[in-house]
Amino acid sequence: MPRPYETVIIFDSTLEDSQVQEKIQRLSSLVAPNGGDSVKVDVWGKRKLAYPIDKKELGIYAILRYETEPSALTEFERVMRLDEQVLRQLTVVDPIVPAPPAVRAPRPAEESES
Amino acid sequence: MMPRRKTCHFCENKVAIDYKDEHMLDRFTNDRGKILPRRVSGTCARHQRQLSQAVKRGRFLALIPYIPDHQR
Repeated sequence: MPRPYETVIIFDSTLEDSQVQEKIQRLSSLVAPNGGDSVKVDVWGKRKLAYPIDKKELGIYAILRYETEPSALTEFERVMRLDEQVLRQLTVVDPIVPAPPAVRAPRPAEESES
Repeated sequence: MMPRRKTCHFCENKVAIDYKDEHMLDRFTNDRGKILPRRVSGTCARHQRQLSQAVKRGRFLALIPYIPDHQR
């Protein structure tokens, strides 16, 4: 069963926009069919890192959100680890989609939809 | 004088904890980059657990420092 995931990737800041797009495209195709067009991509752009990673002060942040089979992640993460232009990568189960566990005693409605 | 009752920021405002929200993470860490204890921030137990996870992810992604620059 596919699950929703979110991946944050930090690329080397020396990459051109087009190179970043190309890499994202390639990575997306690993987790989604048809070259990964069901992947929602959000590129934050160049950002200062809170601490140097590999002696680099800047990074290009990109966030991918998608649904895929957990088994697809092994290859996805392996490819990123091999890429020296990927400084960091973090994949988590998408925190937004699963609703928080129901509150045991529903509190009195604070904002009634009237 | 009664001390003001602290309330959990996340329960109060019904906001989800996002490890990508550096300003929020910053608010819940002290000037040494440490996670504020519940007794200081007033965060409830459930959200404190989620918060600590989020702070650790934020650090890994270099959104917030493990150790602030002036101490390095």
